[in-house]
Amino acid sequence: MTASSKQNISLDEWEGKMSEVPIAKSDLNQLIMNYLIIEGYKDAAEKFSEESGLKTKVDLGSIEERMQIRFAVQSGDIKGAIERVNDLNPDILDTDPRLYFHLQQQHLIELIRLGRAEEALEFAQEELAPHGEEHPELLRELEKTMALLAFDFGGSSGGSNGVAVGGLLDFAHRQKTANELNAALLAAHSQPREPKLPALLQLLAWTQEQLDEKATYPRINNIVSAVLSDPAAEHSTPGTGAGASASASTA
Amino acid sequence: MADTAAASGAEHSNYVAQLGSSDPEEVYGALRTIKNSVIGSSTKKALYMRLDVVAAVSAVLTSAQTSVASRIQATAIVGSLARSRSAGAAAAGGLAARGVVAALVRQLSAGTDARLVEASERALHALLAHSETLAAGGGAEDALVAQVLGIIGGGAGGDSQAGARAVIRLELAVLIVARLCVSEARQYMVANTGVIDALVRQLGRSPAHVRLQAATLQALAALSYENAEICAALAEVGGGGGGGGVAAAAVRLARADDALVRLHACRVAANLSRMRALAAGDVQAVVVPALVRLVRAPAAAAAAGAGAAGADVGADVGVEAVQALGYVCHEDADVQAAARAAGAIDALVGRLAAAWAAAQGDFGDAARFAREARAAFLALGTVVSTNEESRRAAVDAGAFAHIVRALGHGDAGVRAAACLCARYIVRSVAICRTHAADAGLLRPLVGLLRDASSDVQATAAATLVNLLSDFSPLRADALRLGLLPTLAALLDAAAPAVRRNALWAVRNLLVNVDDATRAAVVEAVGMARLLALSEGADAAMREHAVGALRNVAADSAAGCDAVFAARGPAATLALLAALAARPDAPADRAVLVHALYLANNIVVRSDAHRAAVAAHVPLVQAVVAHVASRAPEVAVAALWCVSSVAAGGAGDAGGGAGLRLLRRLGVAQVLARLLADPALPLEVQDRVKGCMDYFGGAEPGPDAASA
Repeated sequence: MTASSKQNISLDEWEGKMSEVPIAKSDLNQLIMNYLIIEGYKDAAEKFSEESGLKTKVDLGSIEERMQIRFAVQSGDIKGAIERVNDLNPDILDTDPRLYFHLQQQHLIELIRLGRAEEALEFAQEELAPHGEEHPELLRELEKTMALLAFDFGGSSGGSNGVAVGGLLDFAHRQKTANELNAALLAAHSQPREPKLPALLQLLAWTQEQLDEKATYPRINNIVSAVLSDPAAEHSTPGTGAGASASASTA
Repeated sequence: MADTAAASGAEHSNYVAQLGSSDPEEVYGALRTIKNSVIGSSTKKALYMRLDVVAAVSAVLTSAQTSVASRIQATAIVGSLARSRSAGAAAAGGLAARGVVAALVRQLSAGTDARLVEASERALHALLAHSETLAAGGGAEDALVAQVLGIIGGGAGGDSQAGARAVIRLELAVLIVARLCVSEARQYMVANTGVIDALVRQLGRSPAHVRLQAATLQALAALSYENAEICAALAEVGGGGGGGGVAAAAVRLARADDALVRLHACRVAANLSRMRALAAGDVQAVVVPALVRLVRAPAAAAAAGAGAAGADVGADVGVEAVQALGYVCHEDADVQAAARAAGAIDALVGRLAAAWAAAQGDFGDAARFAREARAAFLALGTVVSTNEESRRAAVDAGAFAHIVRALGHGDAGVRAAACLCARYIVRSVAICRTHAADAGLLRPLVGLLRDASSDVQATAAATLVNLLSDFSPLRADALRLGLLPTLAALLDAAAPAVRRNALWAVRNLLVNVDDATRAAVVEAVGMARLLALSEGADAAMREHAVGALRNVAADSAAGCDAVFAARGPAATLALLAALAARPDAPADRAVLVHALYLANNIVVRSDAHRAAVAAHVPLVQAVVAHVASRAPEVAVAALWCVSSVAAGGAGDAGGGAGLRLLRRLGVAQVLARLLADPALPLEVQDRVKGCMDYFGGAEPGPDAASA
């Protein structure tokens, strides 16, 4: 579809249509509260609840326990995290072999990171290998993790040997494990596993991509500022391509 | 490495020993260490069980001196051991035998520390997954039900921390109720406590408590499974939030956001539907499509699942949805049609394809594949069992390829399920004549007649029953594959189902065959054996044996001769008379009908034996007695026999003797009375009129032989 065949929607028209969509403040507050609770911002959630008058059925005290567990994983104290989870709800790790495996895997990674190779090898043999035997679907991941012992990463996350495997040593992997555990703890309390706001932002990006093919419209090019670009202003800029008008909007 | 392992083993042994310490701190420390070792690890569970941790933990829990903190740890260990895949049952039995169940039930009582109550519920829920628990538990059910009912009846709090944990305890209590309903007696025991009203109230809770909603539905499903009375009671109970009672709530929640809620709502609805306590429209329009969506989207279900993360829950939800779909479709043509319309056939075949793909390679999970495949084949077979269009759809979707592959699988359950699926598909004459021949089903099926599993043998034989009908091009191939001696051998199998289906296959093999094939079948099976089976104690065997005899005599004089060959004319006629003289009871009706047609076939086909049959007074009397039967199929069979005997007439070998005998027995009057009956079924009326033709003329002259 060429630029000339696309529908043109002006800023005024767009804003007019947006104002017709009924969005209750309480719904927006729920979205924010949902984000604060799931991501574990207990103090912020309490303050927000106070200021907005929004009462949540979620036990805000449980956020503290969940965040302590998350912090333990993010700090590399996997054993500590496991003990806390078992104190909170012993069913979780007993009934989720994949999660348990990922926590054990992370513990193994931490041992390798600290250079405790022999201890890591014993741990892998005693804890991870039997687990993989019982759950064959996890064996591929186990293979990848054991490759860390085969290559000398010297405590670093990269290196020329097996970059894909070395990614396990990234601190981002701790975050991934922490997120997985957090989601399981939320699910155990009948709470959503992920906040809705990021999904909404992804939906916004996707929707705009779809709409880009069909219309020129006031686009949000910066989700931080959320300013609507004026399509009329973009078209009036002479002899520039899309890149130039985007940077003009951003400025 | 060996030293380290030994040291580690000694360490674990020490922890178990410390459980007997008089120092409470030491006991607590050991319990906590053991707990954190066994949770999540099957190896550690097995290790500690070898170190007799069951006895040690049982002693801790049954001791009055144990502190609350230690009890919580010990209770968590109990739950974890019970969840062991390989040794959970043994652990449960051992714990129950040592009084742990009773101890846990005591820990549920009012006033107990809330964390201990929750831990006890978790442990009891895990223990009750094993039948060993209540068998060895020393009659703790009543106390358990009372405690659990107290928790359910107490409800849960509001928004406080106490409220949030209370919801968890409520959920666990409801799950315990579900676990208790493992038999009809237990269902009634639980229902009689009044828990149904409490559960129905729970259904009205806000959708925020999805786990509680799912657990409540699970409990209602367990309570109502295969229980018409409880289903009727549930259908009458009002409330359940949203109005309309449990049935309406189940249908509404079949559209819920959460996959587990949808699944268990569908299971409740399926139970009500099977017991005719739910409107057919709701089942077809809502429940079946919801189940098909669950079958189709295990990954989506995993994302929405409130339980454990990942593909494990999604797969379990998917398998349970498949089982529920098969259950709701069982013997209900309308529901099966709705399932087809909702895409069930493609969804089930798709699951089979995905299961095969997942099982490939070094990391395939054989146990998971077996579970998936069994469920999918059984459900697919049920969905297509009564409808021709559904069977064609299954063939078009590629079901045969999966079936043939599964017939050679290592798991007997998979082989049997695949046979069952094939059996229902080849009920289709068209498919038997075309696709079945090309699919390569025959050879593996004949091979499975010699399977080590009697279930597989029985279902393979049942499939061959359908596959080897007279219109099937596979008959000749089957005989070339050595089918006859195998079937003959199966007539002596230990399992009754194997014997019955083998004889049934023999019976079908005898329909519309040439003399050579008939002779081969009779020789392989043995006429004496067939005659003996027709008098045996097993009703199904009698039916198939007499049916086989009927088929032997149906096409030719040689067949009739074969029937008489084993025992001689007098004994065979006496047997035939005894069979025809059976009272017309529904359980034995099929035998009677076959016997009447057997007599008819002999009269029609065999010049040599016609006169003997026509002159056998007890036999003819027995036939005449059934002419006025209320069962149309019996009356029609008897009337055909009467027609055939009467048709002898002057000039035949019997010289009209049959007709004279019939007149003496008052058949003409019986026929006249029947014709005058306005309620006489049409098919019987037609036969009566046909018979009357023989009785309209003058009495035939005296028999030349007798003169």
